[in-house]
Amino acid sequence: MKRNALVFVALFVAILAMLASGKYLDRTRKHGPLKLVGNVQGLPAPDFQLPSLDGAKVKLSDFRGKAVLLNFWATWCPPCKVEMPWFADLQKEYGKDGLVILGVAMDDSEPDKIAQFASEMGVNYPILLGTDQVSDDYGNVQYLPTSFYISRDGTIVDKMTGLLDRKDIEEAVKKTLNTTSRPTSSSQQSQATAEVKPAVKDAAQ
Amino acid sequence: MRKNPAVPLIALLIAGFALAQSPGDKLPSVIMAPVGNVQVRAGASAAVSLDFRIGSEFHINSHTPKSELLIPTAIKLTTPDQVTVADVKYPPGQDVSFPFSPDEKLSVYSGDFTIDTVIKAPANAAAGTYPVTGTLRFQACDHSACYPPKTIPVQFQVTVVKK
Repeated sequence: MKRNALVFVALFVAILAMLASGKYLDRTRKHGPLKLVGNVQGLPAPDFQLPSLDGAKVKLSDFRGKAVLLNFWATWCPPCKVEMPWFADLQKEYGKDGLVILGVAMDDSEPDKIAQFASEMGVNYPILLGTDQVSDDYGNVQYLPTSFYISRDGTIVDKMTGLLDRKDIEEAVKKTLNTTSRPTSSSQQSQATAEVKPAVKDAAQ
Repeated sequence: MRKNPAVPLIALLIAGFALAQSPGDKLPSVIMAPVGNVQVRAGASAAVSLDFRIGSEFHINSHTPKSELLIPTAIKLTTPDQVTVADVKYPPGQDVSFPFSPDEKLSVYSGDFTIDTVIKAPANAAAGTYPVTGTLRFQACDHSACYPPKTIPVQFQVTVVKK
């Protein structure tokens, strides 16, 4: 008898758990768990210094005055592959307006393999070698692709996770390009920007 | 001791609920069903099936993904001297296209999958119960994004009995 009561309670709890999870899943399906826009908006983008594939040290703060699309990706991430040619197109189209795309490879692969992969994807923007520290600084980036759109004055305009439509990405790029920058040392910016080379020289503009 | 066949199923069911509640979170997306005590005679071998369940929103690469850049599912087992792993057989992957790459088929596991192993005890193995431990490494994705590679522990007991 007592055992039956316990089984009944266990079943009741299980059903409640199912209902709760169903409701949660339904909500996330409607609104999408993929487009996490919200509490990071308006926060200063954490600065970092990461090595690029050609060995240069690249600092985010070198790009003050530019609109930065910071894309976390990996070679083992098929959805990331889809975005990369789009990013290359956007870099071509909006580079003259001040867009800088930085790819951060969260990969254990050798830099040569990452470079080869980037080349095959037609990447024409710098690829940096990511670290756990930069992942942590950006909220423990676990879900790839994840992109941060960073205004000309270094604040986060938007964060997008998962593969989205190209249209959504382009909208976020335009929104980021429309930000204004605070006065800063232009000579410092141009010098730093000049040091950064695209991942694939042949594909560069 | 008689093994209750419902126990692994209930464990998978409970863990399945936990997974279902956390899409996009960092919870493990693969769980292993408990393995009953495996009995093997000294000088003989025993088949051990290791059952895994992948969270309903996820898939993982099979043991033989179609690109060298993709991270294969792989099991590593460590045994004491009294038993050895004589064979490991992975299930074939399902060739599936996903919305993020409709023209490309990936070899994946989703739902439940089983890795079949064979455990052998040498003829001179001492009777007793021994732990077999290891890890399953996998890399999970959902329909629009991927998680970093992850390992989960694998553990079961093997009891060697004399001939």
